[in-house]
Amino acid sequence: MNTAAPTPSNTAAVAPASKIAVALRGVSIGYNGVPVVEDIDLEIFAGEILFIGGGSGCGKTTLLSSLNTLRPPISGSIKIDGIEIVGADQETLQSVRRRFGMMYQLGALFGGMTLLDNVRLPLEEFTDLDRASMDEVARAKLGLVGLGEHALKQPSEISGGMQKRAAIARALALDPQIIFLDEPSAGLDPVTSADLDALIVALNHMLGTTFVIISHELASIFAIGHRFAMLDGARKRLVALGPPAELRDHSPDEWVRRFLSRVPSSET
Amino acid sequence: MSASKSIPPTTVTITSTPEGVRVEPVGDLTIATLAAVRSAVERELPAKLGPSITLDLAKSGEVDASGVGLAVFLYRTAKSRGASFVCVGVTADRRVLVDLALRGQDPQIHGAPTGLVREVGIASLAIYELAVDLVRFSGELVLVAVQLVFKPRGLRVRDTLNAMARHGTDAVPVVSLLGLLIGAIIAFQTFDPLSKYGAKLQVADVVAISIVRELGPLITAIILAGRSGSAFAAEIGTMKVTQELDALRTFGIDPVRFLVMPRMIAAVLVTPLLSVWASMLGVAGGYAVLGAHGFTVAQYMSEVKVALTVGGFVQGLIKAAIFALLVSAIGCLAGLRTGQGPGAVGVSTTRAVVAGIVAIILADSVLGAFFYTIGI
Ligand SMILES: Nc1ncnc2c1ncn2[C@@H]1O[C@H](COP(=O)(O)OP(=O)(O)OP(=O)(O)O)[C@@H](O)[C@H]1O
Ligand SMILES: [Mg+2]
Repeated sequence: MNTAAPTPSNTAAVAPASKIAVALRGVSIGYNGVPVVEDIDLEIFAGEILFIGGGSGCGKTTLLSSLNTLRPPISGSIKIDGIEIVGADQETLQSVRRRFGMMYQLGALFGGMTLLDNVRLPLEEFTDLDRASMDEVARAKLGLVGLGEHALKQPSEISGGMQKRAAIARALALDPQIIFLDEPSAGLDPVTSADLDALIVALNHMLGTTFVIISHELASIFAIGHRFAMLDGARKRLVALGPPAELRDHSPDEWVRRFLSRVPSSET
Repeated sequence: MSASKSIPPTTVTITSTPEGVRVEPVGDLTIATLAAVRSAVERELPAKLGPSITLDLAKSGEVDASGVGLAVFLYRTAKSRGASFVCVGVTADRRVLVDLALRGQDPQIHGAPTGLVREVGIASLAIYELAVDLVRFSGELVLVAVQLVFKPRGLRVRDTLNAMARHGTDAVPVVSLLGLLIGAIIAFQTFDPLSKYGAKLQVADVVAISIVRELGPLITAIILAGRSGSAFAAEIGTMKVTQELDALRTFGIDPVRFLVMPRMIAAVLVTPLLSVWASMLGVAGGYAVLGAHGFTVAQYMSEVKVALTVGGFVQGLIKAAIFALLVSAIGCLAGLRTGQGPGAVGVSTTRAVVAGIVAIILADSVLGAFFYTIGI
């Protein structure tokens, strides 16, 4: 359908000029003109696993809703693979949307469709694969998140954690080079959560996939995160950016050190 | 409310010094005593606070998670009057409780109070916005429809067929019942007045004309608004609340093409058929009354044939299709514009049904005048 569609193999080896997968400059995002986060400068490198953290309600999901092109920021510039998406026309946005996969905080599986159909949908819309191949691809993606045997169930027939995993499988459907995950491990047991970490690392190593992951899961952040970006709701800013362990031990910001070492706010 | 009988009631000492006001509860500060303590404090708090309010909990007995409400109250009072607040005389545990409770409690400036005039203003604005929205939405619909003409593969055929079954086939029983009854009711109500003029058989004319031109399409459309307009709003609205619409958009899939088009096409295709069916049963219902008065089916039908014109039949079909267009567009639009939160879907559903029925009646009067003018 769309000949400009990136295939995993050719975008993994993009020219050095586009080593930055996502670039934000002076970005403010909010609702009804009132900013929730302000003046964010952030460069996410191709092939990195970046975690975004911060207190509940500080604007992580809001930030992601601008990165995924749905919510135009109040001001600033956002580039994905070097393509400006702020103020871009529909055609540009469509082509950018093909480059990333996204898992929503609530899963957002399509009700009334089986898990298999959920994962197949992007394939139907964007590829010329025949039906049998689509099924195979979709089943493989479900298998990766441990849902192979549940492929023919509806979202309402599986647990919350399973829905999250199915949503991750759907985000992987088109083998995108960038994957946004909004709290993928919330609600997962430790073993499943560790399996998910292993999947992320494997994809990251094998295909150079960039991951931008919102998570409160400190174990995951320290285990697989290359860098950690921290938002602060009160200051509405990005208050820290760097390797997680380094920030925990040496961040000049007390709130960041607390967050990463799980110290309650009442303790002084 | 007062403390339980066995415990002595909690008293409060309030002292005012140049440094500020000191509030010192003596006794328990719990869910049982809070209301009394709070109203005592409110009553006795001096008008001039000075630079600070100090809450001293050294002499208080039990303090529970509700009792901490006093600290919140004093904190908010202090902040709203430009004073500072400190809480002293607390153990480490209580300190944690108080600190946690005070987070984010700064008084906010609330919007203007609501009054009747304001409410009416807001409501009219909402109707205006819906109308403007509908116009804009029509543009979007036309655009997507044109795209589909050039790229029919984009239409979800299976979804369209499913919608036709759900909103057409499944509506047959209720539409049949209402059609039959309305026909009978009209015949019943007109039989006496017409028989005064010796025009008993002409009841068939009244039934046929009013049902085929007017009531068949109307009741079908109203059932569509209640069954399908609401369902469209609820289905699409739920998808909005659960971020499914966002998910579609990030896949580059336009919800109008993906969700709205199948539903609207289904509604516009099945409603005229349902309307014809309702009209047929309505005419049959009318015979029930005449049959009871001894007229034969042949007599009745030949009279019906005289009354019915091709124009009247076409008018009914066109009305049904236009009503379906309006109801389904309004239902889908209400769904797409669903707000946040658990109550939002309910609001959208109500809006879909009410706006849908209002639109049907408005359109019916406009179309009625139109067909009259062009002489059909
Ligand atoms: N639709 C909306 N309209 C207005 N304000 C909103 C809306 N959605 C979120 N907000 C506000 O934006 C802020 C950030 O919300 P967001 O969902 O981005 O938080 P978050 O960091 O993802 O929190 P959590 O970790 O709990 O998911 C919150 O203060 C919230 O009140
Ligand atoms: Mg969130």
